[in-house]
Amino acid sequence: MLFNSIDFAIFLPIVFIGYWFVFMHSLKGQNILLLVASYVFYGWWDYRFLALIVFSTLVDFWIGNYLKKTTDTSKRKILLYTSVFVNIGLLGFFKYYNFFIDNFTAAFSFFGSDIQPNTLNIILPVGISFYTFQTLSYTIDVYRKKLEPTTDFIAFAAFVSFFPQLVAGPIERATHLLPQFKKKHAFNSKNAIDGLQQILWGLFKKVVIADNCAQFANDIFNNYPAYSSTTLLLGAFYFAFQIYGDFSGYSDIAIGTARLFGFDLMQNFALPYFSRDIAEFWRRWHISLSTWFRDYVYIPLGGSRGTKGNQIRNVFIIFLVSGFWHGANWTFIVWGFLNACYFLPIMLTNKNRVHTNIVAENSVLPSIKEGMQMGFTFFVTMIAWVFFRSENVTHAFLYLKQMGTFSLPFMEKLQLERFAFEIVPLIILLLTIEWFTRKKEHPLKGTKQPILASLILMLLIFVFGSFSKLQEFIYFQF
Amino acid sequence: MMQLFFKRIGFILLLAIGFATLVSAGSLWLLRQSSFYKPSFLVNDIPEKDFDYIVLGASTGLTTLNTSVIDSVIQTKGINLSMDDTALSSQYLMLEHFLAQGKTTRYCVLAPSAASFDAKDPDISDNDYRFLPYINEAYVFQYFKQYASTRAKLISNSKWLPMLGVSYFNVEVFYPSLFTIIQPKKRNRFDAKGNYTYPIKNNKDAAISEFKAFPVSFSNPYVAKIKALCVANNIELISYFSPIKAKKVIAKTTSFPIINHSDVLKNEAYFYDEIHVNTKGRQMASIHFANVFQSLLK
Repeated sequence: MLFNSIDFAIFLPIVFIGYWFVFMHSLKGQNILLLVASYVFYGWWDYRFLALIVFSTLVDFWIGNYLKKTTDTSKRKILLYTSVFVNIGLLGFFKYYNFFIDNFTAAFSFFGSDIQPNTLNIILPVGISFYTFQTLSYTIDVYRKKLEPTTDFIAFAAFVSFFPQLVAGPIERATHLLPQFKKKHAFNSKNAIDGLQQILWGLFKKVVIADNCAQFANDIFNNYPAYSSTTLLLGAFYFAFQIYGDFSGYSDIAIGTARLFGFDLMQNFALPYFSRDIAEFWRRWHISLSTWFRDYVYIPLGGSRGTKGNQIRNVFIIFLVSGFWHGANWTFIVWGFLNACYFLPIMLTNKNRVHTNIVAENSVLPSIKEGMQMGFTFFVTMIAWVFFRSENVTHAFLYLKQMGTFSLPFMEKLQLERFAFEIVPLIILLLTIEWFTRKKEHPLKGTKQPILASLILMLLIFVFGSFSKLQEFIYFQF
Repeated sequence: MMQLFFKRIGFILLLAIGFATLVSAGSLWLLRQSSFYKPSFLVNDIPEKDFDYIVLGASTGLTTLNTSVIDSVIQTKGINLSMDDTALSSQYLMLEHFLAQGKTTRYCVLAPSAASFDAKDPDISDNDYRFLPYINEAYVFQYFKQYASTRAKLISNSKWLPMLGVSYFNVEVFYPSLFTIIQPKKRNRFDAKGNYTYPIKNNKDAAISEFKAFPVSFSNPYVAKIKALCVANNIELISYFSPIKAKKVIAKTTSFPIINHSDVLKNEAYFYDEIHVNTKGRQMASIHFANVFQSLLK
């Protein structure tokens, strides 16, 4: 079920009314309702894959409780590895099986051995990368004794499958979200209105910014040999805003929806395109994944401690794994590698924590230096996005090569065919709103004119939203 | 607390619907005053009432028959009312729209793609939204109402709630309506006589020697409907087959004249793509048409 669909517009009020009117006095009832609603939400796409969520839930629930009972270190390790094996195994099979088979075949062919392995026609279950990481966080935290395992299966199952963030995050930590399923929620009008406003802001980013940019980005990336260098540059620019609007919009809708039910989800994006260097960018982009990798991979590897060699190794591991997490394609690995290359000089010169505050914190506009830093960071990020978006690495290189020829004419075909340039003012509007509200979690939070602000946003969605060409959320495929 | 929440949400939603309705009605009004799309161009930019001929078609009719060339060759008065990405059903609607303006014509040249004559048209065409500003006209409403698709329903229900159609087709409707505030006379890719041309992409000079047969049997029910509408309004219907690269239409005999120029251009240099001619091809095809059409004129 898509957040920007009629189905969801009907589904959400039904669950909301059931949650606050029918089960308002029963925490168990509320959790059961959320669990059923989450399974319906997921099953709407393909009910067969519900079995995977249920399996992952059962395994980690059982392992969590068994971890509590045993103090034997080797047994505890076996239990942890079982959870990792099951969850990463599911992910590996459904997401990476064909990738590895294809690459092994290519490698053997390169060395002269002709093998004919069987590839499988596997459908990637939506959101598998998200919920497997979420359940893993539970088991790891229980293993590390940071979290008491729950004995309430309903609460745990609802935590794993919580529909607002089930298919595309934010990837919640059990330490943060699970206790919220054990606490009775009282309806808070202010919170609910804030949730609705954040949903509205997320819809604006998705339907107005991302989906409009998508039409042009798709056209340019799919037909890049036919376009001039300047058009390709614009294509990369559009994709940068498509992916930002799409994913951060999804996160806003998820956070807002959860807030309607009294839940607090972690912030997933914090104005990443206002970052002054790549380290700041990665503290502001897909925060829930970055911090997951930091806590469960990077720090256990030694993080930024140890020899320079170890530090470099850890940076490359974290970025390559993060790239690979996005999909079974070399494009994502190169994207991760490129980001590691951007990040490394900053880390090696100990400048990776220079920009920890929001840009121009005490002034209205950024300084020239800050402006140039933001522009440069955006540009290098945009170059990396070309790999992320391209079908394969060869296409990405050809795209960049053609983009680097600096040839005119500018926007030849698009200008004639559609109103491509009219998307640019919308992007400027987005950046202006975000700039002037950059200290808030979302632009409508605590606004003095909530009704007026909501109305304006609704009208903007209404007149500029891309309804006839709705696009799926990009991160559904991960 | 919950009651207050619902009251506030309801109030904001009502306000939003009210504003959206106002904006939509304004947008459609602006488009009705403009020349941006063919339906309003016909109403606002064409003061003439009587024509010798009109061209109805899709992109083939739009880019093949240059009414300026035809009129200069045979001293007639014609207008091209073709719209790209439309089917015969849309051309029927355009004819209704033309007649509803109190205009008349002696001949109606039906020039869609050859395949359209045998198509089924189960849904509205991609560019039919251009009639949205005229949804209050009975013939436009009836046209959209007959289709079951979501987009057709959104347009037909725009008669009561214009925000439905305007929001769904906002890129195609709302943006241009803003545009018309600055340039009310701007036309969307057609000239003052309704013509448009594709550029010359390459100068590949290659003779076409073999033409594959392309049978047309006029099975689309809209052929008969257009014919009936023409008869009722004393208009003579002519069907025209524009040049196709390496294909020759073999048309079934009908009760109306056919000008079959599908194989008249025998060099790739005249084509933009498989079914569209370029500027050079348009000039040639228009002259060929004018010569044959002159012999049909009484």
